[in-house]
Amino acid sequence: MNFTAVSIAMAPEHLLLAGIVSLLVLEIFSDKPDAALPLAVAFVAAAAGAAAWLGFTGYVGAPFPGQFDLTPPASFAKALVLALAVPVLLFSKDDFGRGEFYPLILSSLYGICLLASAESFLTLFLGIELMSIPVYVLVLLGFRRPESAEAALKYLVLSGTASASFLMGASLIYGSTGSLALESFALAMGSPRLLAGTAVVMVVSAFFLKAAIVPFHGWAPDAYEAASVPSTAFMAVLVKVGVLIAAARVFGTAHVAEPLAGLLAILPLASIVWGNLAAIRQAGLRRMIAYSSIAHAGYLFFAFLGDGPGRFQAVMFYLAAYGVMNLLAFAALPSHPVDAERDKLDNLKGLFHTHPLAALLIGMAMLSLAGIPPFPGFIGKFLIFKNVMAAGYTTYAVLGLVGSYLGIYFYLRVIQYMFMTPQAAASGHAPSRGIAMGASLLCLAGSILIAVLPGLFLARF
Amino acid sequence: MADGTILSLVLYLPLAGMLAIAALPAGRGGAVRALTLAVMVVQFLLSLVLYANFDPAVPGLQAATRVPWIPAWGVNYIIGLDGYNILLVVLTTFLGPLVTAGAFSAITKEVKLFYAMVFLIQFAMLGTFVAQDLFLFYLFWEAMLIPMFLIIGIWGGERRIYATIKFFLYTAFGSILMLAAVIYLVWSLWSTTGVNSFAFADLYKARLPLEAQQWLLAAFALSFAIKVPMVPFHTWLPDAHVEAPTAGSVILAGVLLKMGTYGFMKLGFPLFPDATRMAAPLLAWLSVLSIVYGACLALVQTDIKKIIAYSSISHLGYVMLGLVSLDLLGIQGAIVQMVSHGLVAAGLFLMVGMIYERCHTRELAAYGGLAKVLPVYSVFFLILTLASVGLPTTSGFTGEFLVLMGAFNAAWKPGAVTIPLGAAVLAVTGVVLGALYMLWFAQRFLFGAERVPHAPVADLGLREKSILAILLAAVFWLGLFPDSAMKRTELAAREYQELVASPRIPAAARLTGTPQVEAAK
Repeated sequence: MNFTAVSIAMAPEHLLLAGIVSLLVLEIFSDKPDAALPLAVAFVAAAAGAAAWLGFTGYVGAPFPGQFDLTPPASFAKALVLALAVPVLLFSKDDFGRGEFYPLILSSLYGICLLASAESFLTLFLGIELMSIPVYVLVLLGFRRPESAEAALKYLVLSGTASASFLMGASLIYGSTGSLALESFALAMGSPRLLAGTAVVMVVSAFFLKAAIVPFHGWAPDAYEAASVPSTAFMAVLVKVGVLIAAARVFGTAHVAEPLAGLLAILPLASIVWGNLAAIRQAGLRRMIAYSSIAHAGYLFFAFLGDGPGRFQAVMFYLAAYGVMNLLAFAALPSHPVDAERDKLDNLKGLFHTHPLAALLIGMAMLSLAGIPPFPGFIGKFLIFKNVMAAGYTTYAVLGLVGSYLGIYFYLRVIQYMFMTPQAAASGHAPSRGIAMGASLLCLAGSILIAVLPGLFLARF
Repeated sequence: MADGTILSLVLYLPLAGMLAIAALPAGRGGAVRALTLAVMVVQFLLSLVLYANFDPAVPGLQAATRVPWIPAWGVNYIIGLDGYNILLVVLTTFLGPLVTAGAFSAITKEVKLFYAMVFLIQFAMLGTFVAQDLFLFYLFWEAMLIPMFLIIGIWGGERRIYATIKFFLYTAFGSILMLAAVIYLVWSLWSTTGVNSFAFADLYKARLPLEAQQWLLAAFALSFAIKVPMVPFHTWLPDAHVEAPTAGSVILAGVLLKMGTYGFMKLGFPLFPDATRMAAPLLAWLSVLSIVYGACLALVQTDIKKIIAYSSISHLGYVMLGLVSLDLLGIQGAIVQMVSHGLVAAGLFLMVGMIYERCHTRELAAYGGLAKVLPVYSVFFLILTLASVGLPTTSGFTGEFLVLMGAFNAAWKPGAVTIPLGAAVLAVTGVVLGALYMLWFAQRFLFGAERVPHAPVADLGLREKSILAILLAAVFWLGLFPDSAMKRTELAAREYQELVASPRIPAAARLTGTPQVEAAK
């Protein structure tokens, strides 16, 4: 272990750790809770800056060989994750002025950063757990409704099952290949042995469960609805990014052949179709976003049908576009004294007349999530299906695109409510807050950058 | 100023205008209207410079701008003018100020958002016409949906939400299959030739196997046929037209529908020529079906807007017939017919809007004898009716006549037949039907016993008279002096004919019976 390598290569992680410690110390000793938000934002932004700096300087290193290594794409993945966390922190101000929220977020981010650098199943597992455990608490934090406890427990149990399945799969991979290195997953995929096949299926199911792919999606709508808006945003965006980064690390650049390709196409396809159809019936934006994110997880796993370095690129680009637009919607959503009323679609009726900027921003986010050009969501979708076709899976690509068509209606309905329906009698939304609007404008700037100069992002991953 | 710069200015002026009115304070409706009109007029004048500078003797792109955009995917930002789009660009910028002025009195709520959306759709439509890269084209093509969705949905009639969602979902379905086809097309070009490009010029060189061509043509054609719309993909159009505010109808009929025919002409047919020639008889029959069925439906409507909506379906059937004929006259006629329909239908929708503002009903039965009460209105309406019917000296005549000539040339041509003779003959009956429904409509509307809801009503004001006079001037200009326009499109028409009529792959030459140029080499 080389001390300088550890301190440089893990700079983002160190900054996050320093942030967690300072926040905890602040919580114990200070009577000025208002300092927590700037402190958390400062540390996360510094960590993002460090990761981006490592990426731009092309730093390559392995402080813990075989467990943790760093390449520019991994650095940029961390920079993306941390940058996406900044708006979440900013618009959490209304819901969490102080308290445990920030250290939990930073711990979870630490886990995601670990995932981006993981080289073995052990580090990966550490990363996944470190990412997930704070989120169980986030769902409960604030405890606004009785269902929150139920949802958190559901999430805990199912997520625990996923972890168990992942560990079982990892140990079977160790059994069949004699190594815990992530490359052994590709070996197991290519192996005709039942043991290896079982291992692969168990690992993939774990990812499906964590990313809420049909039929493992039942926890997501409940958990998303029960949590407060910033926690939902964190789950819908950051945790999903983390799971997909983990999956991308495991799959590497190996080609996915049949019959695994069938599994990787059919369940995500089912997610796209079911997520998009079930979203139509939802009455609240959070539940709707939950189903929408089930569909988006479907598109993301489609990317694994493509191979080579293009796969990581497609996944990361899609996550960037998806993340930024989802956060835009959440950040722009005006706050409400009653949390349960905040995102009811009926309360969004006529939002354009009371909060024009918020309505415009949410509208853009919806169109982007629906994959309508020229918004970034379209470019991400385009990239994924381009890779899938290039890998020779034309039929799956066409089916996936047609599945994505099913999603257009419910996104349009949000726009219809905001712009075309007379105002709800008393929606009760508070006026937009400066800091939340700032967060949403930050997301808007990011999404414009992604849409206008996609090449800038593509070259990084 | 170089032409390339002017074209960029023309394209981006609406975007600048949109940002400018977004910056204006709320409640300044008058300023918003004046600013929009001013920007639209400047845009039109600049496009006239482009039209004047357009050299009819130079093939290929003029006033082009080429910038690499996403090099890894072979996406380039290429815009430019050619014979395919020059008239449509001018048509779009010409209708811009008229649409704006036409909406002054009709749009009184959310004025800022309305003109912002008019600007946005103007930008997207121009972008679709001038884009010379498939990725760029697709972005603009889809971007058109959003402002139209809002224009119909916010300022439309009673069933506006049903109509606008139907419009969006119909067109988006076509687009999603087109997207799959675009990706497949570019990927197969790359995998067979190593050229990684979305540029139209490169895609024309793709030599796809016939089966792939057929699938891709089907995907592109579905998307374009929904937009045109061709029977049987037309059912969104009457709803959208009836519910849209006047400005929305004018944009829809004037420009948006031409996107479909332009797409066929620029992409659908030339990209997959062998499949196109095989499908030509089917496409010809569908075009004739659109002509006749659209006319029959127009005959029985009781809603004024619906009559004109169905007449659009019928008129665009001629455009398709001309394109399918692969005869030079037919192709030229199709292009003229696109512009002509853009002018005439826009005028008719504007006039329906004017009477609706006064009388608040679109029921034909509620009207009668307007000629006595509103003489100026009636004169304008009658002239537009005659132009729609295709009276010689109006633009409608030039277009329809050339298309029918082309259709018969194609039907009688020895060898490969793109248009069956029966289809050509049936298309002529469309002219008779067209005269029947339009003249009968005018007779019930303008003459007979006097019936005017909400009487007394005032005749046209100066603003309305000027809008219509300008429109009619263009209609007669294109009818009397089509030469100026047609010489600019001639090279493009020849190029289109050459691209579609000559076999791209040797096997297709045998299948479609055209001379084996490739195989002989």
